[in-house]
Amino acid sequence: MKKQWTKSMVVGLVALSVWNCKTSDPEPTPYESGVFILNAGNFSSNNGSVSFLSRTSQTVATNIFQTANPSLVLSGGVQGYTEVNGKGLILVDNNTAGQDKVEIVDYATFKSLTTLKSPDIENPRQVIQVGPNKAYISCWDVSGDFSAGTFYKDPGYIAVVDLNTRTVTKKIPAVKGVENMVVAGTEVFVGSNAYSGSNTLMVIDLATDAVKERIDFGSTPEPIALDANNKLWIKAGKDLVRVNPATRFVEQRLTFSATPGSVVISTDKQAFYYTLSGKTYQISINATNATGNVLIPRSFSTLGVDPQTKRIYGTQNPLLYTQAGYVIRYESSGALVDSVKAEIAPSGFYFR
Amino acid sequence: MFVGCIARQPAAAQADSDTTNRLTNTVSLSAVTVRAIAPERFLAGQKIQRIDSTTLLQFRFASLTDVLALNTPLAFKNYGPGQLATVSFRGTSANHTAVLWNGININQPNLGLTDFSTLPVAGFDRLAVQYGSASSAVGSDAVGGSILLGNSPSWQPGIRLTAGQQIASFRNNQTQLGAQYASPLGANWKLSGKSLIYRSQLNNTYPYTERQNYFLEPSTTAQRGLSQDLYFLHRNGRQVSVHVWLTDNDLIQSPQDTLARERTQTQSARWLATYEADRTTIRLGWIRDVLDYAKGNINNPSHTQTDRFISRVEREFAFKSTQNYQLTLRAGGEWSHYWTRTDGYGGLLIEEDRADLYALFRFQTTRWLLSANVRQAFVTRFNPPLTPSLGAEYQLLQHKRFTLTGKGAISRSFRVPTLNERYWVGLGNPDLLPEDGLNLEAGLATAGALSEHLNLMAELTAYRNRVNNWTYWNPAVNYHVENLQLVVARGLEVTTGLTYRQTAWKAGIRISYAFTRSSQERAYDTYSQDILGKQLVYVPMHSGTLNAYIQRGQTRLSVQMQANSRRYTTFDNSQFFKGTLLTNVLLEHTVNWRFMPVRIQGQVNNVFDTLVLGVKRNALPGRNGAINLIINFPSHIQ
Repeated sequence: MKKQWTKSMVVGLVALSVWNCKTSDPEPTPYESGVFILNAGNFSSNNGSVSFLSRTSQTVATNIFQTANPSLVLSGGVQGYTEVNGKGLILVDNNTAGQDKVEIVDYATFKSLTTLKSPDIENPRQVIQVGPNKAYISCWDVSGDFSAGTFYKDPGYIAVVDLNTRTVTKKIPAVKGVENMVVAGTEVFVGSNAYSGSNTLMVIDLATDAVKERIDFGSTPEPIALDANNKLWIKAGKDLVRVNPATRFVEQRLTFSATPGSVVISTDKQAFYYTLSGKTYQISINATNATGNVLIPRSFSTLGVDPQTKRIYGTQNPLLYTQAGYVIRYESSGALVDSVKAEIAPSGFYFR
Repeated sequence: MFVGCIARQPAAAQADSDTTNRLTNTVSLSAVTVRAIAPERFLAGQKIQRIDSTTLLQFRFASLTDVLALNTPLAFKNYGPGQLATVSFRGTSANHTAVLWNGININQPNLGLTDFSTLPVAGFDRLAVQYGSASSAVGSDAVGGSILLGNSPSWQPGIRLTAGQQIASFRNNQTQLGAQYASPLGANWKLSGKSLIYRSQLNNTYPYTERQNYFLEPSTTAQRGLSQDLYFLHRNGRQVSVHVWLTDNDLIQSPQDTLARERTQTQSARWLATYEADRTTIRLGWIRDVLDYAKGNINNPSHTQTDRFISRVEREFAFKSTQNYQLTLRAGGEWSHYWTRTDGYGGLLIEEDRADLYALFRFQTTRWLLSANVRQAFVTRFNPPLTPSLGAEYQLLQHKRFTLTGKGAISRSFRVPTLNERYWVGLGNPDLLPEDGLNLEAGLATAGALSEHLNLMAELTAYRNRVNNWTYWNPAVNYHVENLQLVVARGLEVTTGLTYRQTAWKAGIRISYAFTRSSQERAYDTYSQDILGKQLVYVPMHSGTLNAYIQRGQTRLSVQMQANSRRYTTFDNSQFFKGTLLTNVLLEHTVNWRFMPVRIQGQVNNVFDTLVLGVKRNALPGRNGAINLIINFPSHIQ
């Protein structure tokens, strides 16, 4: 009896002190404002990470998930990141089946809140916010052998995540190699990976989380963004296609000499940046033919645009993903700012 | 002439030699035939470590990876339990260790390396580790060092049957059935033989899916094998021997998922016939290596098959043999023919010839042991360099109960590129230059009796191994192989052992430490600046082992420990796996059950539940155990 009393006393004291800590000393929020660099890591080494780069610094804080959660690990390539109502969702792709996951973290501290795992999550590709507390995560599902044609499982699915309960509430069967998703009003337009062989542009109704329509697009659609006029842009092979999301009609088709790479929309949504044949271009959303202006006389594996500073971020990787890659920053004019060493295979940005 | 060879073996290391070993030596001495494999006798000044038979018995159900990791400073790149394990010997790559089986190189020629997880300890009788470059005596691949596996006969007449069974954690189990036999064959000949079949099934049914938030990878490994040795010995010392070793290793990763599962089946058939007469040795061998890999539909693999026919003729000449001086020359030639049919080479049959000529000199006085060797290899459409070596040992101190030996050696090394490096469609480079290695080493060794019951041995070795034209699959030219890198490995190895023997009690401890600093030193592209001088991946800078045992009568308690500092996982050393300390405990006891000696081993691996990561960042299993039973059925013909 006495022992129990002592025990409850100790528990009470510990609880009190923890509560004390919480009230008197709020957690620091080191990642309040800056750039998250998503590092894909080396194939099969499962060593991806998220680095944090302050807008005024030239060095990154490495592997901030590990820093914030010393007892946890990502163990995979970081495939995507977005924030929904104060929570960050990190997509982690491991090369072994059944070991992919989504880490849900507090956006300011990066402390882990929960982990979504297999079978809910299998080969996650992209995450987008689709409601005040709702996210969609496109998932290829388990990958087989590429040469045997079983690499992209048919169909892949979209995991619907409720950020209140922090669970996957539904898996929407999607298309083979499901990847890019763009919200337009109450609908989500869903495409696939360029190598998937699927030509279906899928439309999901946000109210019901159900497939509303499947449109044969003629070639593999990769939805990019909505422009300033709320028109949907889709990459399809060498083409950039402007679609009216309400009528589903194609309004413009720009055909490039080769497949444009790393297509991103500008902050004002009036133009796109893309790479082509070793250069980085800018093209207006009102262009009538596929001739952009050279902005930077080199290309990058990934482009990002910082909405705050309008700066352009490009990634440059060494030839092998066995050493850190670089992030190179430019003014929106194309003038070089600096070059910052990131981690293994930087291949995505999230600006806050 | 054999005295020197035997005397060189450190007293402490030999303390546990069993009767079989002693018998071998006795036979060798009585017959005027040289049976030792060249590298063990002609590399004066270089370190050789013989793993004693008691240790091999303790690792009887383990793979070669385990016995080497816990007894030597060799670093392994391990993908998981029962999965690919490749070695880094003194800071070199997996292609830079020669693995010899009864004197012939059994590295898989397409990859130019050995997957140590596929070689169970049960498959051989003797294991020695030859440190440093030994290309002059061994041939290709002996750049960082060599692993010498061998079989030896037992001439004790009769038939002795052995049955062994292991039951281990995670629903893993193994079975071994063997027979050892010897008998006179008429008046002049006698026969000795050993047969062994074994199987193992690693189901790896872990009771957990994660350890400290690292996933474990589901995988199963089924292993089967057969080893057969036959020796026919004539009264005059002539001997014909035949060795066969068949191994089959079937690994399935992610077996639970029919779409994502991957199957790697490695099969090898190794045949070797040896004729030894007077001072001449003739060897004929044939090795087939098959490698099948499939994902998803595991019955339709991509196929690699390579056959080798090997022939070697050696003769030893004793020039001057007095009580004080012995000068020996061993000269030989070797010719091999390779056939490979590999899907990645376009499926065509590719053939090549390889040949070697060599001369090995050994000069011994009461205090000096010198060796001077030279080898020239010849390979179809490839030009290996002349490979000489020089070594010396000098007994600085010779006391009745104590010796101190100084050692030094300088040797060049070479490596014939792997078949993949030469023939892979679009990537292979038939015009590769030979890698050019130069190894320097020096050391001190001492052995002595501290008291009637207490023996001490210690050895200190420092080395520097520079390998130029190190091959690199260059991504700048679509992963074409090129001779781009320059790697310098330097290090220090210290080993000390203490053994205590009394009538009832035996105890021993051996502690080893190795410092390995191995780095790439040449810039060849814009980004190599970030990796210059950085430690090679998966090579720990500091590593150590501790082995201790205490034995009373037929009961023995052993502790095996292995520690290493951080292992970098990226070329720029920006990421690493933390250092680890692994501890295994083994309790053995032999009981006589109906006149049959039954050896019972109980082992606990990873006692402290240390988290160790595999190359794919998966956790290796935590604390686990096994019970081993080895029953030796007595001979009926005594």
